[in-house]
Amino acid sequence: MLKPLSTSRWSFETAAHLLNRAGFGGSPAANQKLADLGPDRAISLLLDYELIPDSTPDPAWAKPDPEGEKALREAAQKATPEERRQIQQQQNKFRYERMLELRWWWLNRMAKGPRPFREKMVLFWHGHFATSVEKVHEPYFMWRQNELFRRLATGNWQQLLVEAGKDPAMLIWLDQAQSRKEHPNENFAREVMELFSLGEGHYTEKDVTEAARALTGWSLDRPNEKFIYRPFFHDNGVKTFLGRTGNLDGDDVIAQIVAQPQAARFITAKLWNYFAGQYPSDELNIALAAVLRGNENNFKPFLRIMFRSGEFYDASIMRNQVKSPVQWLVSSVRMLECDLPPAPISWGMTRSLGQDLFAPPNVKGWDGGITWITTNSLLDRYNDAATLVQGTFPSLTASDFARKPGGPGGQKIEKAVQRLHIGGVNVEKILTPEERASKDQLVASLEHRLLQLPLKDGQEKALNDFLDSKAQLNDADVLTAVRLVMATPQYQVT
Amino acid sequence: MKNEITLQTRREFLRTTMLGSALSWTVPAFLASTFDALQSEAADSATQIITGKDSTILVVLQMAGGNDGLNTVVPFADDNYHRARPKLGLSEQQVLSLNGETGFHGAMTGFKSLYDSGNLAVVQGVGYPNPNRSHFRSTEIWQTASDSDKVEKYGWLGRYFDNACSGADPMVGVTIGNQTPEAFFAKAPKGICFNNPQNYRFISNNHPRPGQTDMTEAAYEKMNAVDTSAPAADENSGGTIGSLAAGMPMQGGSVTDFIERTALDAQVSSDKVREIAARVQSQATYPASQLGNSLKLVAKLIGGGLPTRIFYVSQGGYDTHTNQIATQQRLLKELGDSVQAFVEDMKAQGNLQRVLVMTFSEFGRRVAENANGGTDHGAAAPMFIVGNKVKAGLLGRYPSLATQDLHQGDIKYTVDFRNVYASVLENWLKTKSAPILGRQFEPLQLV
Repeated sequence: MLKPLSTSRWSFETAAHLLNRAGFGGSPAANQKLADLGPDRAISLLLDYELIPDSTPDPAWAKPDPEGEKALREAAQKATPEERRQIQQQQNKFRYERMLELRWWWLNRMAKGPRPFREKMVLFWHGHFATSVEKVHEPYFMWRQNELFRRLATGNWQQLLVEAGKDPAMLIWLDQAQSRKEHPNENFAREVMELFSLGEGHYTEKDVTEAARALTGWSLDRPNEKFIYRPFFHDNGVKTFLGRTGNLDGDDVIAQIVAQPQAARFITAKLWNYFAGQYPSDELNIALAAVLRGNENNFKPFLRIMFRSGEFYDASIMRNQVKSPVQWLVSSVRMLECDLPPAPISWGMTRSLGQDLFAPPNVKGWDGGITWITTNSLLDRYNDAATLVQGTFPSLTASDFARKPGGPGGQKIEKAVQRLHIGGVNVEKILTPEERASKDQLVASLEHRLLQLPLKDGQEKALNDFLDSKAQLNDADVLTAVRLVMATPQYQVT
Repeated sequence: MKNEITLQTRREFLRTTMLGSALSWTVPAFLASTFDALQSEAADSATQIITGKDSTILVVLQMAGGNDGLNTVVPFADDNYHRARPKLGLSEQQVLSLNGETGFHGAMTGFKSLYDSGNLAVVQGVGYPNPNRSHFRSTEIWQTASDSDKVEKYGWLGRYFDNACSGADPMVGVTIGNQTPEAFFAKAPKGICFNNPQNYRFISNNHPRPGQTDMTEAAYEKMNAVDTSAPAADENSGGTIGSLAAGMPMQGGSVTDFIERTALDAQVSSDKVREIAARVQSQATYPASQLGNSLKLVAKLIGGGLPTRIFYVSQGGYDTHTNQIATQQRLLKELGDSVQAFVEDMKAQGNLQRVLVMTFSEFGRRVAENANGGTDHGAAAPMFIVGNKVKAGLLGRYPSLATQDLHQGDIKYTVDFRNVYASVLENWLKTKSAPILGRQFEPLQLV
């Protein structure tokens, strides 16, 4: 189990697999670079990201603002009901704009940033701890949690659980902020075991109530927008939790959880599923968990061994994972060397495809896998590809422009679309003049760039028939060909 | 080639339950193995579903957010009700009385007229043991028909598809919306979903005129047709994919196989859905709302002969923690008027005897109003069953609102929702309910 992949199997295909899974894919040149480096250095280039500078600035509002909060509270107190409503509306508008900015900021870190593997881990932890702005409301808290996942992306399991539990967004999301010794709230106490660390069946209901008692005191200092331990809220009685007895507190609860062998099995299975696309066999899971525990529950050395293992490059693993909507969008941008569509469009795409960042559907996170694909979302992906590549809105075009050519409604929409400035793909950037001149070379180049494997014969023939129907290939035709390759079942898979 | 089966016509392809276009189709090996089974089943269940004018249809209508049942079917004569709801309580003058004690919210004139004409049943006090007050969890319990302390992988309608519709057309389940509801999750996932029939298609940039062949679209169609020109055995498809997605495992085939099938379903259902939506005329006037549009579309699809047994529509916004009066007024009016229009449309089509509408909401709300002119998450609430075969009237009994009869401030359920499901499955969809619901629930006498 987990023996290193033989160096002789290292190739463009395995390198592309690594970059697709441990990152968000890349151009043929980026894949080739990893192929040339060999497996150890390729993995190191992704995982040892501390060596690569990342100077992405934080959003301007991403800092605590106790003064502003205070002023707002005081204004609301003095206000008439009508004024209070206006203040609330203004607040909602700010929050909406900030969340739009935050999603765009994060998507750009994935699509353009120098540390794609770290962002891929941030996305994992976001799906794992599945906290939604729908309940938390405050963009600053959502950003702060996102930064926590970035800071501890490949850190220590116990430290991450403790800090995630004390994180303001989490304190709100799972009601820990409201927990008092008189009425311990069990929401976080339950989910931290069921969904974050052990899974159902590995603790009792009694463990939940005892953990809830021990966790009392973990609270939120709302005016100063940070965690606070409130001794007065804490239940100082004796609790028995997962076999340990004493005046336990929240840190003891997390320590006791991580001491369970199941904690390593649980998280390594979930990580394997995230990167490999399916849950591991029991045998593989045991081996994975042993590696994590053997490395004092630190994720970085565990992930290095995982990405180096032969199992990770097995034929049943490669090209057998559905791209999540975020993966679909971000990897398309990386592979096509273009820009993300403007913030509202990037958000709209990921949301309509089923993955609204910072707003997972529930505390379980996104189910993922084949649940990303419905008849509707598949056609949406095919049509969104046109927006991304050609900078157009085919759905608007069909239902609005075509039906009322030149009519007032059509013009209005046309102008709105023009204002959004979707760049689309630059043909000259992704194809050489020779590739654009020869249909065979064009098709081969697109397959290599977008799929890292050939289309099926029937698909290739259909694409060639399309190209043959054009007397002379112009850039628009080439872009249509790009979109057609993206509108295949294979392109939804990585 | 031995592993290939060539299908000559679209009709034959549809009848044998896989979908295709007018091309000559070949089916890859992974389908061929099940083909014989499909074909024999096609002769009975699937063919009946496709051609049968007698097949019953269930329309599930989700009232998302947790509807306040107490202000929907109002116990206006009960002092306990008015004590708990000094601000929100509705008086006799504000309701549409059904029996001198209970009445519909005043906005529900649509439901009142359906009730009076014998087309609507109210199942009172529906819930389940150990109610959960989380939207997510309680919705999941209703969608999977699980006990409140158990997590089921598949939805109750998905289990219906698995048990009673194997080999059926993928259009056997249709969701109007973006996402497949958890109720449809299945061992062998089935069903299509879409929002807007106009956009439920591959759209090229060329705006072809009607009848004109668009080269881009033609290329898309061929590139999304399952074919065997590729190597017969995909080198990746060695084993089964045991649990691909946490929520929705799938058996057999690679992920690409699954997407290929979905692409085929999308292609053919998109043609069919748009053709029907353009051809079939509504024969009733629907409210201009999302629910109205959804039901209008469902009516067209039924009229156009889509081989669907289950339609799923939803209406959101019932989470009325604040300022409930205006919100619920609007939603219940929209609900009553939309369903009433749908029933009229079905009647005009001559399909009303085939259709049953069932509403549900993940929970009712607390008996006592809160301080913000709203109500918080509660437990039991009524369900509505609509159709001309229903046993119309008030079914079950209204749960007591006396303080000593409440559980932590909530109504105690008098009917388990799975008794309602059992009735829908056995008496309406004509299938055994125990394999689907996990154990035998006594069917309520609903139809």
